[in-house]
Amino acid sequence: MSNLLLLLILLPVAAALVCYFVRSSAVRKLTVVANGAILTLASLALLGKGAFEPIAVGSFLGIGSDFLITVMDFALLGVIFFYGLKHKNLLIQGFTLAQAVLLAWFEFFVVEHAEVPALAGDQLSIIMVLVISIIGSLICIYALPYMKEHEEHLHLKTSRQPRFFFFLVLFLGAMNGLVLANNVLWLYFFFEVTTLCSFMLIGHDATEIATRNSVRALWMNSLGGLAFVIGMMLVYAKTGTLDIAAILAAGPQGALMVAGVGFICLAGFTKAAQVPFQSWLLGAMVAPTPVSALLHSSTMVKAGVYVILRFAPAFEGTFLSTGVAICGAFTFLACAALGVGQSNGKKILAYSTVANLGLIICCAGINTPLAITAAVMMILFHAISKSLLFLCVGTIEHAIGSRDLEDMRGLYAKFPRTAMITVIGILTMMLPPFGVLMAKWMAIEAGASNIYVIVMLAMGSALMMVYLSRWAGSLMASRAADAAPERQAALIRLPLMALAAAAVILSLGSPWIYNSMVAPMFNAPPFTLSFGSLDAVSGSFVVVPLFIVLGLGLLYAMKAASGFRKTRIAPPYVAGANTPADMDGTYIGPMNGPVAYAAGNMYLGELFAEGKLTPVFNSLAVALIVLMLGGAL
Amino acid sequence: MNTLILVIIGIVVAPLVGGLIAGLDRRITAWFQSRQGPPIMQAFYDVAKLLGKEKMVVNQWQILCAWVYLIAAAVSVALFFAQGDLLLVFFVQAVGAVFLVMGAMAAKSPYSQVGAQRELMQILAYEPVLILVFVGFFLVTGSFSIEAVWQLDQPLIAKMPLLYLALGYALTIKLRKSPFDFSTSHHGHQELVKGVLTEYSGPYLALVEIAHWYETVLVLGLCALFWSTNVAWMAVLLIGTYLLEILVDNTMARMTWRWMLKRVWLLGMGMSVVNLIWLYAG
Repeated sequence: MSNLLLLLILLPVAAALVCYFVRSSAVRKLTVVANGAILTLASLALLGKGAFEPIAVGSFLGIGSDFLITVMDFALLGVIFFYGLKHKNLLIQGFTLAQAVLLAWFEFFVVEHAEVPALAGDQLSIIMVLVISIIGSLICIYALPYMKEHEEHLHLKTSRQPRFFFFLVLFLGAMNGLVLANNVLWLYFFFEVTTLCSFMLIGHDATEIATRNSVRALWMNSLGGLAFVIGMMLVYAKTGTLDIAAILAAGPQGALMVAGVGFICLAGFTKAAQVPFQSWLLGAMVAPTPVSALLHSSTMVKAGVYVILRFAPAFEGTFLSTGVAICGAFTFLACAALGVGQSNGKKILAYSTVANLGLIICCAGINTPLAITAAVMMILFHAISKSLLFLCVGTIEHAIGSRDLEDMRGLYAKFPRTAMITVIGILTMMLPPFGVLMAKWMAIEAGASNIYVIVMLAMGSALMMVYLSRWAGSLMASRAADAAPERQAALIRLPLMALAAAAVILSLGSPWIYNSMVAPMFNAPPFTLSFGSLDAVSGSFVVVPLFIVLGLGLLYAMKAASGFRKTRIAPPYVAGANTPADMDGTYIGPMNGPVAYAAGNMYLGELFAEGKLTPVFNSLAVALIVLMLGGAL
Repeated sequence: MNTLILVIIGIVVAPLVGGLIAGLDRRITAWFQSRQGPPIMQAFYDVAKLLGKEKMVVNQWQILCAWVYLIAAAVSVALFFAQGDLLLVFFVQAVGAVFLVMGAMAAKSPYSQVGAQRELMQILAYEPVLILVFVGFFLVTGSFSIEAVWQLDQPLIAKMPLLYLALGYALTIKLRKSPFDFSTSHHGHQELVKGVLTEYSGPYLALVEIAHWYETVLVLGLCALFWSTNVAWMAVLLIGTYLLEILVDNTMARMTWRWMLKRVWLLGMGMSVVNLIWLYAG
């Protein structure tokens, strides 16, 4: 068992080193693909073995693994501090220095170094490992052709791909370590590694804006690191253990410990880019698209929500729990609102990610079995659909040179395959019977007993619907009968098709995913399974019947639509001022000349202005976080 | 088995009832305006005529979207009759709403594009209100499933009067009646022609029309749940509500989407929240 775990953590590290030192694109391609294949198999093997008790790792070459982690911890802080100096950022320097001092004091004077089992895997960890290893690997594979093209666009003299793939693949190992850690110090170490990796990847293009945004990401996440150290120390002061399993088993232990967990949640907030920390994730959009896909779906931000979900039993039933729920719901509403005013595809996706993470955090705060189920389902299905959408935007951007919704209008005419996959991705994000909507349904049912939460969820979910449907509709258009078929590189098509298929097929299988992977987490699981439908006292979601009925309906509709060339194709209505058919998109205007018409989307600029709303939302969010932490004491 | 029979009744009867309501609506509207109005069956004649027309589309998405709109509307009514989960019924209904918008946006037509954007504004206005109404159901019955409503011994309207009024907003928007009918304004001399429906024609417009009948029945079904304990009072409530809708439709001018968003969010959500607070406290 321990070998399998080490494989999941260390194989990506080894593959990353190969990518960095062997500067041949063929070797790189082989390494990344092989790493993906082995990680996928290993994560499935872990799933097959199921949850297991915490285990010790022992030593490497006679040096204790805990000691190694400590050494690497300080080395890592040193590296981050160096970048703080290099970019002359006092915040990074200050937060890192404070972390180092506190950590040194904690390690050398406070902690009694008893043997703590380093790794553990429960249902939540296993689901996370699957998300990281499979989705993360698909994104890395997609990055191979993508980065080649990216560098051709940039006209680089020497390729920076070895460095890029080093951090990209390393990220997977760090994330696997993070979700499998049972020792708080190990968790902290991997938490910091993801901070460094994301900093390196965001700043990859080394343009001025990339550097600025990467520095912002680094100081915000260093703040999170500092909050983590403080939280860890407070929790240790009360419980006297570094063993996460033991901390969780003990439950909430008075104000001091709950405040400690509160700080850990704050660390999760920074990592998951919750308001007011959303700006680093928005800024991360300057990075090449595979980075965005990775950060948003299977790494980084998912580490934030994972940490909060992991510690949820430690604040169950406290004021902190309510505080976390309200902060999460507020982020959901705020970012859904900010997303409505955007026309940049990547920004819309970023806001929708932050909003959905807010929903997951809100569920962790509601802290009932139903809510936790919603959170876990959301993590899984959001990862699939969101990574798919990011990869689609990347593909579209390379095809049309823009990530603006208005430029994507009528994409189907030229790039039918990409457009269709994007539409599938969008639909799986917001409509039944797909998994993301099912998780949202569970969240609304779980949140119904808190009026603040439910009002924010109701408004946020409507706002999200607006921008996602607007986008899906914009992509559609008519396609000329003799249009050339679209070409896609095999390594681009493979991840896109795999993710699109997974989004649909796993949604169909969601009752069984729930039954085998989520239900064992609880003594009293929230749902029972009958005829492929999830039933609870509060309501039921008929997954399989809906799939069958709506699926057959869609097939019938597609069949009806496929015969459209037999029907008469009419020009659109322009009040009788139609121009001849070959001048599509114009009407006869003044002077009897053709005038082009265009209709843009409504972005409700005056209502949902980013610049105007962000400061308001940020200050409200700070107030809520202060309330949450203060109330925990 | 009972559920299956109910589902079949729902799927078959709902469009008939919806079409009749549309016919009655036109008669009463005509009476308001001192006209005679068409026969009550006119809605069916219209759809029959549309179904017989030549098939004409701007592109294939409209065929697909019209069909999905109809299917989703029928499935949501079926789920409603099967006593399913209210939120799920609502989400399935949303599938249809989204596809209608996507079909309108797919056409390279300024009228239908603007109509589609306005339809999205309408969805934005009524969605949160509907969810809050369902939360009210949950707080009273302890469940989102419709089955639980029938076990009440006191009508919901006694506990959720303000939520019923808020639902009225959603009903007006969903039925596309004045002052909230800007996504499908009817009249030829107006700038928007038929908004979101501009490019749907012939048999495909007929599909959209039938889907709209299903939706009418669905929203009225929601209203009916507010007086689940007595069939006579349920009928009074429904007739009263619908007559009020017609009165509002005929006495109000069409408003802009800004006006709608502000009204519905402030008043509709405000009333819902006040009512929900009673229920939380109670």
